Amino acid sequence: MADSEMGEATLERKLAVYRNLDERFVIREEKYKGQQFSHIYFMRLHHMRSQLQSLIPNWKPHLPVNTVLGLEEGKECIIVGTLYKHMKLKPSILDEYSKERSAIPLVKPHNFMSTDDHLILEDESGRVKLAGPMLAPSAFVTGIVIAVHGKETSEGDFFVEDFLEAGLAPQVDRPLDSREDKFVAFVSGLSVGTNAFNPLQFQLLVDHVTGHLGDENEQRISSKIVRLVIAGNSMHISHGFFSGQTVAPKDHAKLTEPIRELDIFLTQLVAALPVDIMPGCNDPANYSLPQQPLHRCLFAGASAYNTFVSCTNPHHFELDNVQFVGTSGQNIDDLYKYSDAKDKIEFMERTLRWRHLAPTAPNTLGCYPYVDKDPFLIESCPHVYFVGNQEKYETRLLQGPDKQLVRLISIPRFCETGVAVMVHKQTPLSLSLKFLPPVSLFLLFYLCSLTLGTWNAMRSVSPQICKCDCGYPMGTALGSSMHTRLCSYFTGDILPLPISAFFFYLGRLFSPDCCNF
Amino acid sequence: MSSGDIKGFYRQKKKNGGVTKPSSSSSSSSKKSKSKHYTGGASVGAPSAAQTPALVTRGGAIDLKEEYGDEEEALRQFDMDMKYGPCIGVGRLERWERAAAMGLHPPLHVREVLVGLASGSTACSSKFKCLWEGLV
Repeated sequence: MADSEMGEATLERKLAVYRNLDERFVIREEKYKGQQFSHIYFMRLHHMRSQLQSLIPNWKPHLPVNTVLGLEEGKECIIVGTLYKHMKLKPSILDEYSKERSAIPLVKPHNFMSTDDHLILEDESGRVKLAGPMLAPSAFVTGIVIAVHGKETSEGDFFVEDFLEAGLAPQVDRPLDSREDKFVAFVSGLSVGTNAFNPLQFQLLVDHVTGHLGDENEQRISSKIVRLVIAGNSMHISHGFFSGQTVAPKDHAKLTEPIRELDIFLTQLVAALPVDIMPGCNDPANYSLPQQPLHRCLFAGASAYNTFVSCTNPHHFELDNVQFVGTSGQNIDDLYKYSDAKDKIEFMERTLRWRHLAPTAPNTLGCYPYVDKDPFLIESCPHVYFVGNQEKYETRLLQGPDKQLVRLISIPRFCETGVAVMVHKQTPLSLSLKFLPPVSLFLLFYLCSLTLGTWNAMRSVSPQICKCDCGYPMGTALGSSMHTRLCSYFTGDILPLPISAFFFYLGRLFSPDCCNF
Repeated sequence: MSSGDIKGFYRQKKKNGGVTKPSSSSSSSSKKSKSKHYTGGASVGAPSAAQTPALVTRGGAIDLKEEYGDEEEALRQFDMDMKYGPCIGVGRLERWERAAAMGLHPPLHVREVLVGLASGSTACSSKFKCLWEGLV
């Protein structure tokens, strides 16, 4: 797809078999007849309870399983139900009516936890307050289904001795094939239309992914990217337009400008590789989860290509039988508001263990009132689980007791950090690509290029001399071209030997660690 | 609650019976509490307080045959059974189908009644809606 500098063989982009599994998130036949959320909770409880019932015999087989109403004081048993966390700081619509007008806090806390929070377990027959030191309320949220072992106390509370979460769902085996490297690129939080958006940064990403940037080795890496997933918040419409007033004709352009700008970039992308775009909280899509795909009329240019796929949020797809599941961040952000963990990856881990993508929906996270299903339940553990619009790039490899292996990825906002993520499809390896404005850009690009996939190049190519005649030996042709670019950028001897050597040896440091693809 | 002496001899009936379901356009101003007796499920219900004598016959069971026909009792039992989930906001047939899809084996005669009604006269459309429709 891109010619090499010598004008010889054309590099072809790798292909992967794609299957979109968003069907359960699309709202098509559902009709709203005025129902409330009791049905989605019932479906969740019923489904999770049957899964927990199958796990309880391996956990504590000798104890009886009761309903909440069937509890007897002092008798040890197991109960299964939905957790409700009572939080006094949780904002409630009723506060507007009960408090005096002046009592609205000026600063909204980002986190609504307090030391008074307590947990209540609820099933169809009743609810009971959970007491005891085993369950720390800060680690739990409303909406998860667990089994607890304990006994009822004289005060009417249930003293918890142990609890059981469903744990990681069974995973379909990762396909073992292929010596081929294939990468999936993720980016989120482009925020086209805000001041934070830097067109140069994004254009650099587009050029890199489409193969217009770099020499042959660069292009070879780009040709291995089989798909780009844009995980939400691609555009940002100024909030002044949301006041409900009619938009003046002179402001029409401002309203549509971000969308048109994004469409221009997207058209360049879809012409080169398949792109999945997901809606986020700032995108023109519905508010409640699951967010429906962005309408194709927004993307007049890009939607003409069959490589353009507009997806729901959450998004579930399969590439060469590797399962990818992810969201644009609302589920994890909501967990962050109502519970505590050491990092966002831990929240992601918890959602997998609870087998539910968004347990706080519909309590504090908007959700469609389904009647006959709960689409956020995780039936089978994905191989890659990604969350967009986070503060920073984090990743972890989670191992389950049944040989499940999940790569957890937290994708940072591109407009703030300039970082996109590339995931190697076979091995659970993920790397971040950083796109920074001017100076440091080239340096980091250089570093990333060295560590990304030029292992072979490094081992086989003999040292080359930099073309700018400064005389420094460079490890690779790639390094050499980068160095040339840098030298042309800076005049004089800005780039002394130690720095080049540093990058060279740093790259060599990574090469023995490279995974067996 | 058992009926009094005189009232046990004959059934009193109000013109617009207390158990009449209001049409969907009008809302009922006074919510009459109803006493229910039910067999299965883990459901919990409080016995009603003010029970007008008109609703009660010998033995303490509501006689629904007057206003609603024979099957209403069974349909209401199905509504109240907690095992099949909440009944408000879903139609009875839809709830039955959902329970069947979940593998809960809801009683077949309930479905027969509902399907029979669907093919029968259109006057009993209220039977497809749950017990609390329009009241809660």
